[in-house]
Amino acid sequence: MTCTRTDQGDKTTLVIDGLLDAVSTADIRPIIDAVVADRRNLVTVDLASLRLIDSSGVGAIISLYKRVRANGGEVAVTGLRDQPLAIFKLLRLDRVFSI
Amino acid sequence: MIYVRIPGNLRYRDLAVRAVAAASKLVGTGDRHFDDEVVSAFGEAFNNIALHGYRDHQGEVEIEIEVGADWLTIHLRDRGASFDVSDIPDPDLDTLPESGLGIFIIRSFMDEVSYLAGEPNLLSMTKRYSEADHGGTRP
Repeated sequence: MTCTRTDQGDKTTLVIDGLLDAVSTADIRPIIDAVVADRRNLVTVDLASLRLIDSSGVGAIISLYKRVRANGGEVAVTGLRDQPLAIFKLLRLDRVFSI
Repeated sequence: MIYVRIPGNLRYRDLAVRAVAAASKLVGTGDRHFDDEVVSAFGEAFNNIALHGYRDHQGEVEIEIEVGADWLTIHLRDRGASFDVSDIPDPDLDTLPESGLGIFIIRSFMDEVSYLAGEPNLLSMTKRYSEADHGGTRP
């Protein structure tokens, strides 16, 4: 898994690829903490190259969503397909994100 | 029957997931959804053993996979702390829970799930292919 953060004006994009699972989720927690601490309020999570996600990875993205929203911001998730899309739909996250 | 015996440690999660993904393809549904759901459920089961079952000590996981004409059964045996999937209530998805989703994923994606606590603990999960459910086409 790699997670790349790009800030452009008010907007922050996190591109996460590979596997976001119980092993790799610990690696993105500090990046999420930094996005929240920097009060980045227009955040897009690009998952177009994410191959597999588990409940740990979903939990990290939900955490990002809740914390950015608590700061008055918005989080969008883009690019979902295949197994990650199935998980997001099962957990009814299509009500939260426009996927 | 396919048999894999590995340490119940997250370092081996990807290896185990790849084995199950390959076995799922042997069912021959030609349906990616079937394989995705099997892999998702198995990954959560392995997480539970590695993170909770073997929290206090290390041990192995025995993975046995039976592949049928339109079904697949996975048996996981471990000698860690027990957790009974039937004891755990479904999460309230409206509250956007950040944890406690793994068992829900297992129960949702597999058709039959049973658990026997003991030495070893035995988690068995079966998924059957149905074109009505998945809309796939067999090759």
